[in-house]
Amino acid sequence: MRAAVRTGWRIGAAAAAALRGRAGRPLSQAAGEGGSAEGGGGGGGGSGSREAVERLVREHPVVVFMKGSPAQPLCGFSNAVVQILRLHGVEDYRAHDVLQDPDLRQGIKDYSNWPTIPQVYLNGEFVGGCDILLQMHQNGDLVEELKKLGIRSALLDAEKDQEKK
Amino acid sequence: MRGPLLAAAGGAMGGAGGPLARTIRAKLTAALQPTHLEVRDDSPRHGGPPGAETHFGVLVVSGRFAGLPPLQRHRLVHEALRAELAGPLHALQVIARTPEQWQSDPHLPSAPPCLGGSKREKRREDGGEAPGQQ
Repeated sequence: MRAAVRTGWRIGAAAAAALRGRAGRPLSQAAGEGGSAEGGGGGGGGSGSREAVERLVREHPVVVFMKGSPAQPLCGFSNAVVQILRLHGVEDYRAHDVLQDPDLRQGIKDYSNWPTIPQVYLNGEFVGGCDILLQMHQNGDLVEELKKLGIRSALLDAEKDQEKK
Repeated sequence: MRGPLLAAAGGAMGGAGGPLARTIRAKLTAALQPTHLEVRDDSPRHGGPPGAETHFGVLVVSGRFAGLPPLQRHRLVHEALRAELAGPLHALQVIARTPEQWQSDPHLPSAPPCLGGSKREKRREDGGEAPGQQ
C-alpha cells in the first residue's frame, strides 16, 4: 500500500514539477547535482525525507543510489559502481534510481551531505561515491568491508586461482 | 582519469580553461593550498559541447589531506566548491592525495574499473592511510 501511495505521490510531484518547469520541490534549489545543506530535503514524510531515506539505507547491507538501474545504468559513474560490485560478485543489493524520484534525488544528497550521485551505503553507512568505491576496490578495502557484512568477495576466489598457477 | 589534465597556473593546454575551470582552480587553491592541482573539464565526454563546463575532474595534492580518510578528503573538496556544486557543476570526480602519496605514485588511476584484470598491490605502510587511488 505504501508503494502505491508513493507511486501516486511521485507522479503528482513530477506533474507539478513539470508545471513549474523544474524538477524537484521548491525547497530543492539545486540546478544540477547541487548539494544542499538544508535539512529535511523531502519534508512531510515524502520519499526524500530523512526518515524515508533512513529506511532505504537500512533495508539491505548494500544499498546504492544511482542513475538508472543495475541492468541499465544511465550514467558512467553509476555504471562504474555497478561494475565494481559485479566484479566482487555482489549482485544482490538494493539500487534506487534517483532519476525516477526527484525528491529522493535531493533527499539522499541532504541525508549524506554529499552533492553527487551515485552514493554507496554499506550497512546503512555512507561510504562514498564512485571515486571512493574505485579506490576501495583497488586497495583491497572493499573486500574487507564486504567481509564485515558477511559477503565474500568473488575476487578472493579469483586470487586463489591465480596463486595456484 | 583519462586524457590530459589542464595544469594549474599556466595552463599546459594553452589556456586556463573556461570561467568555471578558473573558479574551481582558484577556490581549491585558496581552500587547500595544493602543492599540485589539475582541473579537467570532462563535459565533452558526457555529451556536452566543448566549453560546457558541467562535468569536471580534479586532482588535488595537499598536505591538508594528511590523516584524513578518502571520504573526509572529498568533503573538503566539496566544501570548497559548495556554491559551484549547487549551481552549474553537475559532476565532480575527485582524486585527493597527500604530497607524499603523490610523490611515491605520481600517476592517475585508469578511469574505468578493470574488468577482471589488474590486482593492485597490497595496502601501503604509510601510517595506515590508504593510498590515494581514487
